[in-house]
Amino acid sequence: MTDTDITPGTPDVPVEATTARTEPAGPRPLLPLPLTAARALTLAGAVATAASAWLSWTWTSAFPGDLTVTGYPGGLQWETFAAGLLTALFALSGYGVRGLRWLTPADPHGATLLAALGGLATTWYTVIAIATELGGLANLTTGGWIAAVASLLAVLGALALPPTGIGGGLPRRGDPDARPDADSGAGANAVQRALAALRGYLGRRPAPRPAAPAPIAVHYLVILAVVALGLGVFTYGIDANYGELFVGYLLTTCFALWAAQRAGLLTRFAELNNRHRAWTTTLAFLAAVAFPLTQSNDHDANVGVNILIFATVALGLNIVVGLTGLLDLGYVAFLGVGAYAAALVSGSPYSPVHGTAFPFWAAALVGAAAALVFGVLIGAPTLRLRGDYLAIVTLGFGEIFRIAVQNLDGTSGPDVTNGPNGIPQIPDLSIFGFNLGNPHTIGSITLGRFANYYLLMVIATVIVIAVFSRAADSRIGRAWVAIREDETAALAMGINGFRVKLTAFALGAALAGLAGTVSAHVTYNVVPDPYQFAGPVAPNSAFLLAAVVLGGMGTIGGPILGAALLYLIPEKLQFLQNYRLLAFGLALVLIMRFRPEGIIANRRRQLEFHEPDDAPGPVATPGTAIGTTTDPGEATGPASAQAGA
Amino acid sequence: MHTLPQQLANGIFLGAMYGLIAIGYTMVYGIVQLINFAHGEIFMTGGFGALTVYLNLPHGTSLWAAVPLMIVGAAVTSVVIGLLAERFAYRPLRNAPRLAPLITAIGLSLALQELVRNLYPNATSARVFPQMSAGPWKLGSVSIQAGDIFVIVAAVVCMAALAWFVRRTRTGRAMQATAQDPDTAQLMGINTNRIISTAFAIGALFAGIAAVSYGLLYGQVMYNMGFDAGLKAFTAAVLGGIGNIYGAMLGGLVLGVAETLATAYIADIPGMHQFGGSSWANVWAFILLILVLLFRPQGLLGERVADRA
Repeated sequence: MTDTDITPGTPDVPVEATTARTEPAGPRPLLPLPLTAARALTLAGAVATAASAWLSWTWTSAFPGDLTVTGYPGGLQWETFAAGLLTALFALSGYGVRGLRWLTPADPHGATLLAALGGLATTWYTVIAIATELGGLANLTTGGWIAAVASLLAVLGALALPPTGIGGGLPRRGDPDARPDADSGAGANAVQRALAALRGYLGRRPAPRPAAPAPIAVHYLVILAVVALGLGVFTYGIDANYGELFVGYLLTTCFALWAAQRAGLLTRFAELNNRHRAWTTTLAFLAAVAFPLTQSNDHDANVGVNILIFATVALGLNIVVGLTGLLDLGYVAFLGVGAYAAALVSGSPYSPVHGTAFPFWAAALVGAAAALVFGVLIGAPTLRLRGDYLAIVTLGFGEIFRIAVQNLDGTSGPDVTNGPNGIPQIPDLSIFGFNLGNPHTIGSITLGRFANYYLLMVIATVIVIAVFSRAADSRIGRAWVAIREDETAALAMGINGFRVKLTAFALGAALAGLAGTVSAHVTYNVVPDPYQFAGPVAPNSAFLLAAVVLGGMGTIGGPILGAALLYLIPEKLQFLQNYRLLAFGLALVLIMRFRPEGIIANRRRQLEFHEPDDAPGPVATPGTAIGTTTDPGEATGPASAQAGA
Repeated sequence: MHTLPQQLANGIFLGAMYGLIAIGYTMVYGIVQLINFAHGEIFMTGGFGALTVYLNLPHGTSLWAAVPLMIVGAAVTSVVIGLLAERFAYRPLRNAPRLAPLITAIGLSLALQELVRNLYPNATSARVFPQMSAGPWKLGSVSIQAGDIFVIVAAVVCMAALAWFVRRTRTGRAMQATAQDPDTAQLMGINTNRIISTAFAIGALFAGIAAVSYGLLYGQVMYNMGFDAGLKAFTAAVLGGIGNIYGAMLGGLVLGVAETLATAYIADIPGMHQFGGSSWANVWAFILLILVLLFRPQGLLGERVADRA
């Protein structure tokens, strides 16, 4: 079942029909409009959407963000504005306007449609939120209606643009390979036809045009701009101080990223990144350091610390799950071991071994070493067996840890952890006489307590990233990947599977322990509660696993992004309170179903998950591309409508 | 009360329930090599299905009449949810890498728990399950509750029925064939998808019955009771040799007895007086699992099978 067979079943498809790419002979759009009208409609809708953000949308300032001001956007209107602007840019780029063509090297119309959809989603979400929260559509002013209609017009216009993706679209009238009933709009086929048309915008995407040669300085500047944009977008998300704004932010960013991917911009940036990795890494590090300086209050720095702790642990788990393919369901216990070990030797008056106050470097070593020992203890008996056993044993170990920590309180067990009360009053860290608990002023900028810890965690994260990437590129890292891909083959190639797996397991545990030592000091106390299998807030084993899976297994950026999302979403969407875990569980199921390689896909993993239909076909033309949908069970509906003449 | 025969009996009752749940793990694993982590939650929904039936019966219905209906309610709920999970969550991932269905299962298990917690009336804390008023009976020094009798009878009947089904019926033999080699079984004309669905359905059916016995034993059902019970049942399945249905029941009994005895007698061992009691019961259960994996990883009745590469 490979994709190299060029539709042997359809030898009668004329060549000119299969090689048609875009207008005028390409597939028709979903909505029948002349090209000029479609372009005009898209552009007008996009510009009107952006402009409507400057109008007043509602009468009162009861809706958060004050959307009553005409002449200046507020709150969610900024997001509508951004989406409208992006749509207009992509539309102009697709029109071929000089100076903007670089925006859409791959699929201009798909990108335009996605950006327009982002505008639609954000605007309509805002409008509906106004109507429901304030009680009725009467709360919308003309501006609100204009925004809603304009964003809809942009989407309709974009749907009337001929698709520039691979495959999909409707066959042209009079095409020899068009089925006779394809144009008649028979009721049963309408949905299929709409899906076929959408596939041209959202399905497979052509490879981007090769980038025009540019001086290295331009490359550097582009990377700088992208990193600055990323920091800005991220900061905006952390600063979003009410749920509606954050939902709008998520909608806009998701669609904008998808549109950028569709346009081929992400591929372009990945190429740049590959060529200038050192520069990107430096800039990303600087952006991470600069983050607390952009924050006016310490609360956001606290969010930053927690994200970094979460991300570090997720990276450690990524070694175990992402690189080696071992499913560890009790990973948070290693974080707990580190945190408790650090708390015990921190000099807290409530620590059963009070009086012992280790310096930070020693406490960090103790925490990492304790987690390592537990990792070996759990791993040694189970890693010789099939991977499924490991999953259940680690789940059991996670439970044992939680139960033990709760019981070791002096009455139902020896006194080690104070039971459910935990170990409070952990003193702040002091490194080289620099007390991280006190605010420090550098120049004119005051760094609060959490900002100090944030910077410490940035260093810790850098260490973990360094360990991760160096290990992954080393001999042992390749052995991990080999074990993940096919253990039997790896063993046959002479890899000592048990030792290699144990190394991964122990290293992952030690990194989690290291993060745990810092987290104990950041939160002042350690209690058993956070170290469970699943809970409503991060970190717990299920969330950690989800951060790795959602972000992208085996990558560095993936778990960090996943951790940031999974920390921020529950933090910002307090109104979801009771449904967070539900949504989270369903999200896991859906991700595994539709994008098992995660947001940031590891190239190898992507191929592994999508082998049949994503590998590039021999000739990337619409007709043959459809023929390459190979799985006989899947090749139904729209695909066979065209291919099976 | 704390005599050895009594403890043994309690362990056997508990173990019979673990065994009933473990059947679901072991059958699904035997056929598709998938740990259905959501099985514990399928068990849990069965408990709530039974409770729903009971609450909708006319007031004052004798529990003797109600229990059969409750079993039906539990079985229907569990089987429907099990089949839906198989069809929409697991089947699309049949050929995906091994990690994918495991993660799906975790997601499913969280989602089911939260669905019940949020949508079932007053399910955020434990819901009271009706209790049989008859008993307890004395058998020598052993006191037996009505719930105990129920679980023992259910386990025996279920195991006998399952043994007959697997050995004697066409579907049962097709199931054995699929477990041995799915591809060849398919070539021989066996509809493997249907066999896999059947395995899920039988597992869910037994989990539903186990849920009724859980309710009768403990007098309550809770949205998160599936996590613990599922973990124990999986331990039981591994203990007995995963893939072996008799092993699952045997593993359940061994685990139940070991857990009960550890709870009762560990404290009597010199130097261990603080580690007895129910708060450490799970710890001993998992330590038993780790010991079994160390010394007899194929389980009590399992055979060593080569990894299918």
